[in-house]
Amino acid sequence: MFGYLAWRSAHNRVSRQLRHLRSPRYVAALLLGLAYLWFVVIAQRPAPAAGELADSRWLELVGALALLGAVAWGWIFGVERRVLAFSPAEVTFLFSGPVSRRGLIQFKLLRSQLLILFNALLWTLILSHERFGVSPWLRVISIWVLLTTLSFHRLGASFVRTSLAEHGRLGLRHRVVSLAVLGAVLIALTWSIADALPRLAGADARTPLGFLSALGEAAAEPLPTALTYPFRVMIRPLTAPSVSAWLNALWPALILLLLHYVWVVRSDTAFEEAAAAVSLQRAQAVSERQAGRPAPRAPGRVTPPLFRLAPEGWPAGAILWKNLVAVTRTQRVRNVALALAVGAVIVTALSFQPEGTLAEIAGWFAVTWAGAMTVIGPQWVRNDLRSDLLKLDMLRSYPLRGWSVVIAEVGASALVLTLIQLSLLVIGYLAFLGNQSMVPALDERTVLLFGAFVFLPGINLLGMIIQNGAALLYPAWVHLGSGRPGGVEALGQNMLMMVVFVALLAVTLLLPVAIGGGAFLLLHRAINGWAALPATVLALGTMAFEAALLVDWLGRLFERTDPATAGIGL
Amino acid sequence: MPVIDVNGLQKLYGDFPAVQGLSFQVGPGEVLGLVGPNGAGKTTTIRSIAGIIIPSAGEIRIAGHDLARDPVRAKAALAFIPDEPHLFEYLTVEEHLRFVGRLYGVTDVSDRIPGLLDEMDLTDKRGSLPGELSRGMKQKLAIACGLLHEPKALLLDEPLTGLDPVGIRRMKATIMRRAAAGSAIILSSHLLHLVEEICTRLLIMQRGRVVAFGTTAEIIARRPDLGTQSLEDVFLALIGQDQGAEG
Repeated sequence: MFGYLAWRSAHNRVSRQLRHLRSPRYVAALLLGLAYLWFVVIAQRPAPAAGELADSRWLELVGALALLGAVAWGWIFGVERRVLAFSPAEVTFLFSGPVSRRGLIQFKLLRSQLLILFNALLWTLILSHERFGVSPWLRVISIWVLLTTLSFHRLGASFVRTSLAEHGRLGLRHRVVSLAVLGAVLIALTWSIADALPRLAGADARTPLGFLSALGEAAAEPLPTALTYPFRVMIRPLTAPSVSAWLNALWPALILLLLHYVWVVRSDTAFEEAAAAVSLQRAQAVSERQAGRPAPRAPGRVTPPLFRLAPEGWPAGAILWKNLVAVTRTQRVRNVALALAVGAVIVTALSFQPEGTLAEIAGWFAVTWAGAMTVIGPQWVRNDLRSDLLKLDMLRSYPLRGWSVVIAEVGASALVLTLIQLSLLVIGYLAFLGNQSMVPALDERTVLLFGAFVFLPGINLLGMIIQNGAALLYPAWVHLGSGRPGGVEALGQNMLMMVVFVALLAVTLLLPVAIGGGAFLLLHRAINGWAALPATVLALGTMAFEAALLVDWLGRLFERTDPATAGIGL
Repeated sequence: MPVIDVNGLQKLYGDFPAVQGLSFQVGPGEVLGLVGPNGAGKTTTIRSIAGIIIPSAGEIRIAGHDLARDPVRAKAALAFIPDEPHLFEYLTVEEHLRFVGRLYGVTDVSDRIPGLLDEMDLTDKRGSLPGELSRGMKQKLAIACGLLHEPKALLLDEPLTGLDPVGIRRMKATIMRRAAAGSAIILSSHLLHLVEEICTRLLIMQRGRVVAFGTTAEIIARRPDLGTQSLEDVFLALIGQDQGAEG
């Protein structure tokens, strides 16, 4: 029964998506996508730097640490409750039917296989030219094992976290084994990091290769070796150089997968508490309608809005305000804001202490993340049309022109992303405040920070316009809603989308950079450093002009989008 | 002058005509009941008038403003309340009203909110998020949002869905009160007793076409062959389902 449901649902979903190919717009996107894949996969790319990159020891270590980081992130910052949710139809038919909770979990695991298989193939294609591992065909199995194990882990972690959050001490008793393992891992992780820090902060670790070497030495200690063992087991089949080595590496990975399967399937009590609670919230609307009685959620404390919405003013300002309120009321965002504020205070204090190296590590981390957020941030911050298009009916009924809806929606997410990045950059700036010998010097760093304050809003606005433009152009193919297709298992497709996004952003930034840069070079001889001022104004003006053109075009597209035929909400 | 003026409305989905050649007017104080079987084109019609769907042909004017040429002014004069309330997850009941107030330029929104919350029996819930409301309360909030700017044209798609008997009675009173205050109302519903009770005229649709238009008495009088005074019987006869109903 589950196989039939999963197969037919997947088949019909793909068929429905493909039916949009009747539209020339979707055909063009498909052709471009195929051309892009051909370019990435089939066409010969520059050969990887053999030796260094292909060293399976480094691949295994870096891969294992990346997996450890991803898993730790999930445990610390929370696995999305979406992981646990079933669709309303599944809740209606399966939860009320003669199906055991264990059966429901197995269905959930089966259903996630479509995404995993797709991404396993995608990763195999992406890595087809890399000079490591045994063969692309065996690699697809290795990647499938890795992604499936991670998917199971994410589900298991969701059960534990939700069970604890909703049942406190009772949840503690139910999840004692999981929590004991988690506690031991956390202690080992803390111990390992504390032990490795002096080595990582040492003078030898100032260069990337030196840092990698120091990391390797730190990871070779007994405790970190034990800690990273399961993650190495997951990575090892990928890096095995021969078929026999691959076979030897595969069976421990399969055992780990099996252990995760047993862990998740045996979590049926937690499942009942967690998944049912999440999914049944969806089903309430259905049952309420049938029974005609209310079933409200328990009231909670609502965070007051950052500012009160004035009744007069730009009407679309209401949408901007609404999106910002939504962000401030998201627990995860509040946690990030708190962590950034605490981090800023700590690194400032540490930067003037003898242990300043620690602050500098945090500083580099913050600056790197701020830069990376330009690329990955627009996929994460989605308080814009990507969330609101599911309510297109309502948006279209408002007395607003399309362009004003688009700019309000895009402006909200660009503002949030910019604030996050600037906070990270300020942390980076503060972390090096006590460093007198650093290059660039303090005054140059101050100018760079000022430059970020000036340019980041425009860059992010263009980035968000691109992301929202994709949602408006291809609503049936772009994931809509507050969350994005999540988890490590969807990393392949998210990465490909990110590359496309970076290419488009680079194209939009080409003209502002050319005009601003050209003006600077022309004027620099005459007015020296002051040339930066007109160059900045020209670059910002060009960015504003581009943004205005794109917003106007997307606004007209918004006004032409028919909710009945756009394929929204598939 | 009619508040809602629909002339030759047509909506095609590919070759399929969802609505064809629809023309009617609704004046101030009138309540037009839009009825028909599933797939008759009621929702397409009401969404076209709300400016959500772009018609394939025809003209729609709201309070004298052409919906295609001057959509902002036309939409500012109307309110659309869908059958499924679309609320924002992170805005409280009161914030929803303030949000809508800003969209429609309601400067005295603070003065209007208490009365509306009281009318919808939501005063105790003004600080609650939609997730804390029952289905019926959400529907009431959606209706309150629609009434906030005192629209000249009110479009209600199955407005009683999810309401309890007390809520239904209150809602009927609200609709009558708004009509008495001069609003032109279009109400789409499957509940024939409701439309019979509160609508001044009926428009019965089937397969995208009008099969009857007029007051209940006029529509019944046009079918003396049925020998009935029941709107339900006439409705079933008009849509060709009378045999099935009797059988």
